[in-house]
Amino acid sequence: MTLSFFDQFMSPTYLGIPLIAVALTLPWILFPTPSARWLNNRLITLQGWFINRFTQQLLLPLNLGGHKWAALLTSLMLFLITLNMLGLLPYTFTPTTQLSLNMGLAVPLWLATVIIGMRNQPTAALGHLLPEGTPVPLIPVLIIIETISLFIRPALGVRLTANLTAGHQLIATAAFVLLPMMPTVAILTSIVLFLLTLLEIAVAMIQAYVFVLLLSLYLQENV
Amino acid sequence: MGTLNSTLKFYMPVLTIVPTIKSACLPRLVQLSHLHTSPNSQAPVPALPEKGGKTRHGIIPEEIFQLLYPKTGVTGPYMLGAGLLTYILSKEIYIINHETFAAACMGTVIIYGVRKFGPDVAAFADKLNEEKVQKAQEVKDLAMTSLAQAVLDEKKEQWRAEGRQMLFDAKRNNVAMLLETNRRERVHMVTNEVKKRLDYQIALQTLHRRMEQEHMVNWVEKNVVTSITPQQEKTSIAKCITDLKVLAKVQQAKATVAI
Repeated sequence: MTLSFFDQFMSPTYLGIPLIAVALTLPWILFPTPSARWLNNRLITLQGWFINRFTQQLLLPLNLGGHKWAALLTSLMLFLITLNMLGLLPYTFTPTTQLSLNMGLAVPLWLATVIIGMRNQPTAALGHLLPEGTPVPLIPVLIIIETISLFIRPALGVRLTANLTAGHQLIATAAFVLLPMMPTVAILTSIVLFLLTLLEIAVAMIQAYVFVLLLSLYLQENV
Repeated sequence: MGTLNSTLKFYMPVLTIVPTIKSACLPRLVQLSHLHTSPNSQAPVPALPEKGGKTRHGIIPEEIFQLLYPKTGVTGPYMLGAGLLTYILSKEIYIINHETFAAACMGTVIIYGVRKFGPDVAAFADKLNEEKVQKAQEVKDLAMTSLAQAVLDEKKEQWRAEGRQMLFDAKRNNVAMLLETNRRERVHMVTNEVKKRLDYQIALQTLHRRMEQEHMVNWVEKNVVTSITPQQEKTSIAKCITDLKVLAKVQQAKATVAI
């Protein structure tokens, strides 16, 4: 089973069944359900603590209307972080490297924030297109720029895709180059590979967090 | 109200017997009424084990080593692992490719992370649970100390209540003393008043007597002074002078003897 560079990015199918669906259910399977006990085992205690802290931090800048999004944002964060971290294991497929998935997550959520803003407080939502204190001659240009910036926000998904794909590709390339190498040079490349691994772990977590954070930011503006 | 009491007294034994009969004859009848209304199980939760399963090298369960020990001894599982690996590699069931190195790197990082931070994370999770238990324990301890304190206070109150007899006696004595003091004061006042009256009478009588005495003395003196004749006066003065001369001589004689 020889692998080419891009095998890790091909959406796997088996007998016509797209296995990405199975890959997407993996985070749900891996997190244990909080039990009805008062004192749990370490895993559930840590999971509960992490989710509580994360939700609390995320909802700090949001007002009451944004609190309705708590479950969605936290579950999104857990989903993305698990998918990213699982993708770092060898021979795994990372669903978040597929642009379709990420845009499918980003565009509806972003559009939801925009529509909520336009429906509930249209004046304020349109007011965001012109920052305070701009000099009068700049106003037309600035409105156009802000509108473009508003419509480019679904780049949330593109960001996630790009980061993860790039990371995985770098690791694959460094490992591939390592394969037929002389020992002396191989050590250097191993160091590079090691550092890349560390970077990838960090990037996996950070990108998931950035996704959710930016969404909460857009929500904060509009809710 | 009386009829209610009597009916209750009649039916109470029946009411207590019926559920016991029900639970004895039809076990778990109560459970049937909650058939599939919630996903949670009503069964009692078994206790969690204190520690997880024992593993060797962090991943392989100890049970596999125990399983193979009778037939292959201590080195059995290791031989199995090495042979399996060699077989897979030589038959090219698994080919070493770039993912192998990536896997090796990732494995190093994961193992290092778990070995280094594992105990801390476990201690943290235990601390979270400990805090929960400690909060409940605090409540329980507080309740117990407050109840023990209440028992002590109650005992003290009972001891105080025993001494109330002494308190009553003391109060009674106080009142009696006050009354006695009051009575004595009034008796004293009465005697003083009576004495004042009597003193007045005495003073009046002495005044009378003195006035009579003075009057009599004045009358006697007046009569004597009027009855003194001039001849009597001359003879008495001459006698006085001779007496004085005698006295002077005597005194002079005493003075010279002294010197």
